[in-house]
Amino acid sequence: MNCEKYQELLSDLVDGSVSAADRASVEAHLNGCVACAEIRDDFVAIVAYCQDHRGEYDAVPNERALWLRISNTIEAERSVPRAAVDVPSGASWWFRLMNSSWQLSFPRLASAVVIVAVVASLATMSISGRFGSPSASGPYLGGLGPSTPTASLEDRYRQQQQAIAYWNQRVEMNKARWSQQMRETFDRNMSVIDAAVNDSMTQLRQNPHDAVSEDILNDALNDKVALLKEFSEL
Amino acid sequence: MKLYSQASGKRFIKLLLFLIILTPLSGSVFAQQRLSRNYPAGKNVRLELRNISGTITVETWAKDEIRIVADMESRKATFNPRQTESGLVIDIVGDNRGREVGDMNFKIQLPARSSVDLETRSGQISVTNLQGELVRAHIWTSGDITLAGITAARVFATNTIGDIYFDGEFASGGTYEFKSGKGNITLRLPANCGFRLVATAPTKSIKMGPFWHEGMKLMGEGRRIVGDVGDGRSSVTVTDYQGTINFLRR
Repeated sequence: MNCEKYQELLSDLVDGSVSAADRASVEAHLNGCVACAEIRDDFVAIVAYCQDHRGEYDAVPNERALWLRISNTIEAERSVPRAAVDVPSGASWWFRLMNSSWQLSFPRLASAVVIVAVVASLATMSISGRFGSPSASGPYLGGLGPSTPTASLEDRYRQQQQAIAYWNQRVEMNKARWSQQMRETFDRNMSVIDAAVNDSMTQLRQNPHDAVSEDILNDALNDKVALLKEFSEL
Repeated sequence: MKLYSQASGKRFIKLLLFLIILTPLSGSVFAQQRLSRNYPAGKNVRLELRNISGTITVETWAKDEIRIVADMESRKATFNPRQTESGLVIDIVGDNRGREVGDMNFKIQLPARSSVDLETRSGQISVTNLQGELVRAHIWTSGDITLAGITAARVFATNTIGDIYFDGEFASGGTYEFKSGKGNITLRLPANCGFRLVATAPTKSIKMGPFWHEGMKLMGEGRRIVGDVGDGRSSVTVTDYQGTINFLRR
């Protein structure tokens, strides 16, 4: 089996609905394949997030109907193979987009659906003003988040801070086990990233349209989440 | 006849003291362990190493083999390389989860056409003379990265605190990313190299040297330089939050 086949089983593995033989096979593969192991970790994080925050976001009005529409679309795509369309060299991006072929494996599709649901619910929470309440805490997946015209810099920063707070909490739980040297190294490095975040925030407050500062802020926040995530495993 | 003179008695006491002082040191010396392993390898092998802390040194040699020498500070450390279809995977983080294992220093020799994906939480990374598809060196926290004599198509070098030095060539169509939180990034390149550059340094300290020309665009009051050098056929991204970006000609 290649990585693609194993990745199709990952979702079932995380749900615990895979057979014993498949479980052994997938786990053996995951021990040797960093890429697949990272996808498994992402699935675990997504499922854990959804379980931890069940009820904190608005469910889709008719979940089953939505899923049936999605599965019907997939089946329809499968039964009618799409004819290849010759795209003229000077075609617009819209033409290319409309005539492109989208082939997603089940885990990719499932991930996409979950991510869309999480992002939509976070956006809903943000709009309804629940975002700033102390009870709304938890990780936000991704960088600075979706850039909607109405979302201010502070809102997007706050969203990212939720992810940081989540991973920070996990790091703090493990920190007691670390050596003094590791604690110092971690703190020293985190202060460098924090300085980049603070500097770019200051710049953006002065000039909200400063693209360079926005890129640096996005980069630095992503770095911070990545570093916290890495050290939370220790 | 007197068996021990006063002088030889003093010498004996000195020797005794010397041995007492050395005893704890010898303990730590013997607590370390060195392991070396050789693995058969094709010419395009890929090596992945995920270390916790310590130095990683990668060199090339003329044999179709990978040789790994690991110096481990702690005897508790586990070192369990796994051979895969594409090469070799060494996951010190996974193998030693939950254990305090101290520094592990690696010296690796492999064929020149190899790819390497190296990662450590702290420590130095040095890669020399590699010509494979990929060179990735990532230090999560502190440590310098030195990449010398590199002609790989994809190079990624990132750390949080520490210098990054790259001496090599950019392949046409290649992708090159260098990023440091606090440290200087130096790229030493041949005069005829071509690349599309996005260099960002909030300190505004980007020294293009001989690669500067009027067609380059300064953005954000000099915090970013964007532009093509030569044919611009490779993509180079350099980001440094608190340091200087330096371009040097070979």
